[in-house]
Amino acid sequence: MKLIKQRTDSSNYLSNFLGFPTRVVILILALIMVLFPFYWLITNAFKVEQEYFASPPVVFPTIITFQNFIDAVVKYEMFKGLVNSVLIAVGTTVTTSLFGSMAAYSLINGALPKRIKGVLASWFLVQKMYPAIVVAVPVFYIIRTLGLMDSITALVIMNTSFNLPLVILLMIGFYQEAPYEVEEQSMLDGCSLVQRYLYVTTPMVKSGLIATGMLTFVYSWNEFLYAVILTVNKAKPLTVIIAGFITDKGLIWGPMAAMGCVIVFPVLLIMWLMQRDFISGISAGALKG
Amino acid sequence: MLISRSISHDRADKIYSWLFLLPVFVILLIAAFIPLGYGFGLSFFKYKLNLQQSPLFVGLENYIDLFRDELFMQSLKNNIAFAFMSVAIEIVIGIIIAMLLSDDNSFSRIATTFLLIPMIIAPVASGTLWKMMLDRTYGIVNYLLSFVGLPAVSWLADFRIAIYTIVFVDAWQFIPFVAILVLSSIKSIPKSFLDAARVDGASPLKVFTRIVLPITAPVIIIVAMVRFIDAFKVFDTIFVMTQGGPGNATEMLPTYIYRQGIKFLKVGYSSATAILFITVMSLIAWQFIRLRSKQLRRVG
Repeated sequence: MKLIKQRTDSSNYLSNFLGFPTRVVILILALIMVLFPFYWLITNAFKVEQEYFASPPVVFPTIITFQNFIDAVVKYEMFKGLVNSVLIAVGTTVTTSLFGSMAAYSLINGALPKRIKGVLASWFLVQKMYPAIVVAVPVFYIIRTLGLMDSITALVIMNTSFNLPLVILLMIGFYQEAPYEVEEQSMLDGCSLVQRYLYVTTPMVKSGLIATGMLTFVYSWNEFLYAVILTVNKAKPLTVIIAGFITDKGLIWGPMAAMGCVIVFPVLLIMWLMQRDFISGISAGALKG
Repeated sequence: MLISRSISHDRADKIYSWLFLLPVFVILLIAAFIPLGYGFGLSFFKYKLNLQQSPLFVGLENYIDLFRDELFMQSLKNNIAFAFMSVAIEIVIGIIIAMLLSDDNSFSRIATTFLLIPMIIAPVASGTLWKMMLDRTYGIVNYLLSFVGLPAVSWLADFRIAIYTIVFVDAWQFIPFVAILVLSSIKSIPKSFLDAARVDGASPLKVFTRIVLPITAPVIIIVAMVRFIDAFKVFDTIFVMTQGGPGNATEMLPTYIYRQGIKFLKVGYSSATAILFITVMSLIAWQFIRLRSKQLRRVG
């Protein structure tokens, strides 16, 4: 123990604050707690019925089957749900990125009175905090009156409104970091605000815009509350279909797990691709404003 | 945070600046302002969407009824209990995990990535996951517990246990959120502080209580408040796992509003609940914003 302590630097000193053995035990337990449920989900998705309904449970499946995925598509509308989920998430990402970056650009490089910026900033903070459920009933009623019930459009509008504050907040940061000289130069060259936004400054913050977009994609892909309120049948995304599954049919675990895998996989892929941006995006969302 | 840049703009620039903000205003109007105002108005009416009758103005009756409604009081109580329990657990374990991951070797970095996973998957998915694992007869959890001699537990069907199960699943999902934010705050502590303490022979535990905790306290407070406010938005997990049951043991404010407004179509009544809810939340949030700006100034 002493030897380990002496060799390590001060950051290691901190991480061993409960002692090295305790640290190893807790971290391994934590990893098992996090990863085992996913092992369980994935194996259940490939188990035959006798094995996912076995008591005691089968930890290592002996037969691998794709039947659950086939059933999920054929019997339980997984393909329709997947298409809807993609349309909602992509639609939201595109509109939020476009509108959000436009607003952020205008706030940083546009000609707006100072006060509007303060007003907007505090509004975003408020919007981030109030529970979405409080407008659920009026929104339900308004969407019904507009004839937008059970449509992708309604969900794109709602998801856009939830994600705009975060996107604007993050994009303001990126636009502020972009070199101002370029902006100034192109202004002297006679570019209009629209041209500067489209061709000069936004290309410089492209990577930030992509990271923000990915975050929006994940949030709207995962969204459930408004999806369950505003869809009846044809616009149901995966989250609503899997929830309906659980409440109506209870124990059809195989197809349910297959669908769970389909919901989780794209998100894991995105996170793996852009780990760092993800963490900083989430922290900024919680701490800044 | 919003620093404007000063250059001379022509007229076209000014017009475009406003036009660039327009879509955001339109979206917020449709999805937030109008519904809020509309809900506020509806909260003074007796109005059921499924009956063919016009709204009846009843003044404050809906609000008064709320406090006589046992189910509402039950949901409120459940929600407050849930908020305190889940935030306490998430903060304590989150800080410990952050500390344990605070060194810079590759194991910690990989572990951090894996530990993040619960936070980003859909709450519906994590609810599904745990519903399968916690099943009384076929679930793996009861099976594993049987090895240490524990009897089978109805994690979700027993009204005395269900709320703790929900707390557990919420903690499973959001401990990573706390850990990641506290971790980045620990990493920003100047190395010289830690080195000095070490040279002086302070034990690691002392360093934790005397240096790390005081320095990260502002961030911890902010994170705790974010989680506290979020605890009153809990919906997906409950919807998937218990539907507010058994009985009303896990009914909370969002599920209550959903049931009254969307299922029973009591538009006026549920609007009153929502307005009351947002009023209380705004008061908490307002305190939170004040506290936060104070804390952020301390962080620098």
